[in-house]
Amino acid sequence: MLNQDNFWQHNKAVLLFALVALTMPLWFPIMGGYSGLDTKIMIFCIFVVGFDILLGFTGYLSFGHAAFFGISAYVTGIMLKSFSDNIIPAILVAVLAATVVAVIIGLLTLKRTGIYFSILTLAFAEMFDSMAMSMLQKWTGGENGLTGMPTPMLFNLKMQGDTVFYFVTFMAIFLFYMAKRIERSPVGLMMKAIKCNQTRLEFTGINARKYKLLAFVISAVYAAIAGALMVVYEPFVGHEFLGWHQSGEVVIMSVIGGVGTLVGPMLGAGFMLYFENVLSVDLGEQWLLVLGAIFMAVVVFMPGGFMEGIARLKKRYFTTVDGE
Amino acid sequence: MTDVKSEDTNKKTGWSRRDVLKATSAGAAAGATPMFFTQNAWAEEAIGNYPVKGSEVVLGFNVPQTGAYADEGADELRAYKLAVKHLNNGGGMLDTLKPSKLTGNGILGKKVTYVTGDTQTNADASRTSARRMIERDKVIMVTGGSSSGIAIAQQYLCNELGIIFMCGLTHSNDTTGKDKQRYGFRHFFNAHMTGKALSPVLSKEYGKDRRAFHLTADYSWGHTQQESMQEFTEKEGWSTAGNIMTPLKTTDFSQYLSQVLNSDADVLILNHYGANMVNSLTNAVNFGMRDMQKNGKNLEIVVPLYSRLMAKGAGSANIDGVLGTSGWNWALQDEGSQVFVKTFTDEYGFPPSQAAHTCYVQTLLYANACEMAGTFYPPEVIKALEDFKFTGAGNGETLYRGSDHQCIKDILVMQGKSPSARTSEFDYLKIVDEVDAATVDYDPAIFGGELGPYIPA
Repeated sequence: MLNQDNFWQHNKAVLLFALVALTMPLWFPIMGGYSGLDTKIMIFCIFVVGFDILLGFTGYLSFGHAAFFGISAYVTGIMLKSFSDNIIPAILVAVLAATVVAVIIGLLTLKRTGIYFSILTLAFAEMFDSMAMSMLQKWTGGENGLTGMPTPMLFNLKMQGDTVFYFVTFMAIFLFYMAKRIERSPVGLMMKAIKCNQTRLEFTGINARKYKLLAFVISAVYAAIAGALMVVYEPFVGHEFLGWHQSGEVVIMSVIGGVGTLVGPMLGAGFMLYFENVLSVDLGEQWLLVLGAIFMAVVVFMPGGFMEGIARLKKRYFTTVDGE
Repeated sequence: MTDVKSEDTNKKTGWSRRDVLKATSAGAAAGATPMFFTQNAWAEEAIGNYPVKGSEVVLGFNVPQTGAYADEGADELRAYKLAVKHLNNGGGMLDTLKPSKLTGNGILGKKVTYVTGDTQTNADASRTSARRMIERDKVIMVTGGSSSGIAIAQQYLCNELGIIFMCGLTHSNDTTGKDKQRYGFRHFFNAHMTGKALSPVLSKEYGKDRRAFHLTADYSWGHTQQESMQEFTEKEGWSTAGNIMTPLKTTDFSQYLSQVLNSDADVLILNHYGANMVNSLTNAVNFGMRDMQKNGKNLEIVVPLYSRLMAKGAGSANIDGVLGTSGWNWALQDEGSQVFVKTFTDEYGFPPSQAAHTCYVQTLLYANACEMAGTFYPPEVIKALEDFKFTGAGNGETLYRGSDHQCIKDILVMQGKSPSARTSEFDYLKIVDEVDAATVDYDPAIFGGELGPYIPA
């Protein structure tokens, strides 16, 4: 009995997310969404949850996560184009490639902290971006992007429309569950200790670099899975996937939603994509301006993002009975 | 395996295979009977957003509203809105386009409405935006784009989803070359045609023994533009001293220009567009390159693709005498151009750009093709557009070539006007030559690529 209560307590967020995500095709169109966008939102949920493992737990702000997203997308695209239209080998190879790159970049950049780390990761991502645009143009298609892939297949199942949505959503639910598990595990505790005070952690005899690298690589794997799914969702890779703009967008999603909460960044991702693709139409040319204003308002008045807002509302309306 | 199985079950119920076949074919014939009386109906399954439901038909205008090409995007959108107005109420080029079945009463009796999107000059964003139009707003056609990379990305998406894509401003050879698609159409001209039209004028003006140095924007359009310029200037007897690919984000071109100065080149060709061209030309002028002598001749600068907005950005003192090409210009005197410039100016207070012109014409051509086909069914509309010959939409008789969906039409060779020669604030360029369609025509096979099937997989 106690165990069951624990299970419910621990997985409340995951179950709630699963419920909201799986019923999305039912309620999303009512608020102006459409079937392609819900898939994209799910893909970015994976991306930001992974990103929160690094930023939220260890406090390391990476400005180069687009590198893993983009490399994985390119590898998936090239695999689909020249190896097989089955997505399983394509995703596996893509994630593996991105992981190798993540280990190398992680080893090189994690020696630095704060702004130096951010700038280093940004520099690496920009390096890959310009490589895709120049040296590797033959394979990446340069500015035109990588096009001309066959329809991705899951064995005999065509990955189109609702099939992609449910495939991506199940991945998102699983990966969110894994992130929650990591958060509760001793490893997760170590990561949070790094954010709290890295020097103190090292004085207790713990190798902090190991945990930093682990967090970095895990978040890169999440980004790589998102990148691969992006190509499954739409057989096209633009070099924008590698650009700093993509990295920045993920940071904004995390901040606007609430860093370190795992759920918050997903809210942020949903909000950003919904705003960019649905609300922007009514706002016309001014949509970027309005988005900027919202971002500033959130940072100034709710530094904890949407999650802080929700917590405040909860406090106001649900704890008054108990009193202080 | 399955065959045997089904035979077994048939036996059990007392049906022989022959009975089943008979019954099936009889049933199929009976079921299909009403369809034989509706013309073509048997072939017209749902493709993309066909059939169109309701009394309105929606078009999708996907243009850059933010980012580097926002000015051009804004002008394109103005042209689209004007086209919709004319399609619904008559007027504009509806009176001059020939042959035309347009009535001024919408398309096929349905009122034309539209939705807009922002491509952000970003291939990924443009595809997301186009997808929104197709899946949520149920558009029957998407048009727009102000960069070749973006146009090609959207063209692939639309082709996949069975939606016709009418390209806006895109000048790369690839759009109707190696990346051509059955559902994509381009009215604008391309880099190859620029090379063909411009090179004879260059050799006439500057002589046949010139040495050219290229600075080229490092992406699809720049590459094809440079190849075409090199090919055709060398045919005129010029030689090529060198070529440097400059990253798209470059704003200071000094380091590249000093390499040009150190070479023995006496012509500088800037395969740049938009802000790139404005910056590289301004840098070159600041280097004093326009007053320089090389090999005993004046050093000359050439800008293969010109637009009014670019000329304005660079300033008329800098572009004075510089040669390039344009698809269309508001100073053209033919009937179609005149009526377009007049209606556009009445509506917005200033004359349209070449981007606006191509977008306006594309919308009308699509609508006209639907009227000619008598249906919105994409394969029929595509067939109506393919090898369609028309006049009255600006520069001369135009052919929508069926083999690569490229329009073959007259091209303008333009020259920058000196500040004193200008007659209005929109007057930056003068037309030096109208090169006719036959001269710039080419064999579509040289670029490879395949259009693919009429019915998407």
